[in-house]
Amino acid sequence: MSGGDHGAAAPAAGLARVLQFGDSMFPIGGFAFSSGLESGVQKRVVTDARTLEAFARTAIEQAAAGDGIAVVWAHRAAAAGDLDELARIDARVYARKLSSETRAMSVRMGKKFAELSAEVAPAPLLATWRERIDEGATPGCYPVALAVNFAAQGFAARDAFVVHQYGVAAMILSAALRLMKIGHVETQRMLYRLNADADAGYEAAARARLTDMAGFAPLTEILAAVHVKAHVRLFMD
Amino acid sequence: MRIAEGAPTLAPWAAAEALGLAAAEFAGFQDEPPQMASGAVGKTGFLRLGFERRDDRTILAELDRRAPYMAQRALYPDPEMPDQAWLFVITTSGCVLQGDRLALEVVLAPGARAHVTTQSATKIHSMDANYAVQTQAIALADGAYLEYLPEPLLPHRRARFLSDTRITIAPTATALCGEIVQAGRKHHHPDESFGATLLSLAVEAVRPDGKPLFCEKLVIDPARRPVRQTGVMDSFDVLGNVVLLAPKDVAERVYARVGAEVDLAEGVAFGACRLPNDAGLVFKALARETAQVRAKVREFWTAAREEATGSAIPPPFFWR
Repeated sequence: MSGGDHGAAAPAAGLARVLQFGDSMFPIGGFAFSSGLESGVQKRVVTDARTLEAFARTAIEQAAAGDGIAVVWAHRAAAAGDLDELARIDARVYARKLSSETRAMSVRMGKKFAELSAEVAPAPLLATWRERIDEGATPGCYPVALAVNFAAQGFAARDAFVVHQYGVAAMILSAALRLMKIGHVETQRMLYRLNADADAGYEAAARARLTDMAGFAPLTEILAAVHVKAHVRLFMD
Repeated sequence: MRIAEGAPTLAPWAAAEALGLAAAEFAGFQDEPPQMASGAVGKTGFLRLGFERRDDRTILAELDRRAPYMAQRALYPDPEMPDQAWLFVITTSGCVLQGDRLALEVVLAPGARAHVTTQSATKIHSMDANYAVQTQAIALADGAYLEYLPEPLLPHRRARFLSDTRITIAPTATALCGEIVQAGRKHHHPDESFGATLLSLAVEAVRPDGKPLFCEKLVIDPARRPVRQTGVMDSFDVLGNVVLLAPKDVAERVYARVGAEVDLAEGVAFGACRLPNDAGLVFKALARETAQVRAKVREFWTAAREEATGSAIPPPFFWR
């Protein structure tokens, strides 16, 4: 599957739909989360443009080596219509979310995304996956919900992976506009630079086994722990 | 480590060998050491410790060992929990070398209470071929209580190390399993601040029926992912990573007692998160010096032991 081939839909409509489901305006509540940036700013781990970009880079690198692998595997399972395998992948993603906040974020966005996908696009797999989540048969993590949607609409796994990575960076940078002294031009420049590694990230994720999902960002995890115990919070994580 | 009847059985050290061969992150390091071959006799340590409750205390009922691993006998040095068996894991080689395949099994029968530790830091030597693997299979039956708090992991520059820990735990049992990972011998050589080539540290916990609880795989690969990057280690040199698997009421009481803070001036950061599937908690601590991390781990251990058993922890050993 090539990145430009949007399967079932005509190419232009396909691109428009990739943009629609990957848009931060798509109402799944991403604006409520900061991925630990709120605590990072409060605790002076993130103080300026340089540390903000490094913090966002850490987040997308963690995503590429973790959730991003699940996106690719879930896309394969969804393309094969294998619901049991999807549930197995979903459980593995959930078991790797060690903080209650990152877990809540993944599950809330995943549920909402599955719900809206089923309401908006006609594919039967989307309705089935939404039912599974509503029944409590599977946790409904966001990377899996995203992959199910993209596979059901015939969009490439690469597109799903890139949309996921883009979402991680965009969420942090848009939270940054509200949390620290930084302008739109600077955050857009950062987003531009951060997306440069998307192809290498996808190639690595496409080669990986599901059990290769890994990460190493202990300070980010501690910031999540600090955030749960904080008294004043603007964001949900 | 229990393999279904009829299936081809692998010795635990052979299973460690297979794990290294299959790990994608070690694909580039499969060359054989020019010294003793990987997995040769003398490089395949095995230690199986079986603890059982007998009368009023826990005994080491089963001991199986193969060099360079060894253990002598259970000790009872803790006045706060005199029934708890303490076991010091010993390795006769003094350090972990390229090609080593080490397998540790710790099994606690119902109601057994044990503290397992090592006699000194686990030093992982520099490597120019292959890598070292350590597997740890830990099983706790109903009502069992384990503290597994080894001395720090000390990777020398150019070390390559894979550690894989599987914990099987009954819902009524409690396990406190922690490790402290140092950046290296940072006062010895400038290349020993995260100078190890590759560290891959995985922990996975399941219920006895196979239901997954949580999984964490840390891959520290400084050449590909800068360790000092914001959100990773920043200016910190030592990581403490402790999991507490416990019934939910115990875990919640511990959680309420444990704070969370990032103090860059003091050079300490710590906090606990609630694990998925009501498995318990994970506590992480970062600091510039090992002593600071040890102090934070002791605080967490204090809360965990008090809430799980009602007992205090013993004073620190003078020589550790």
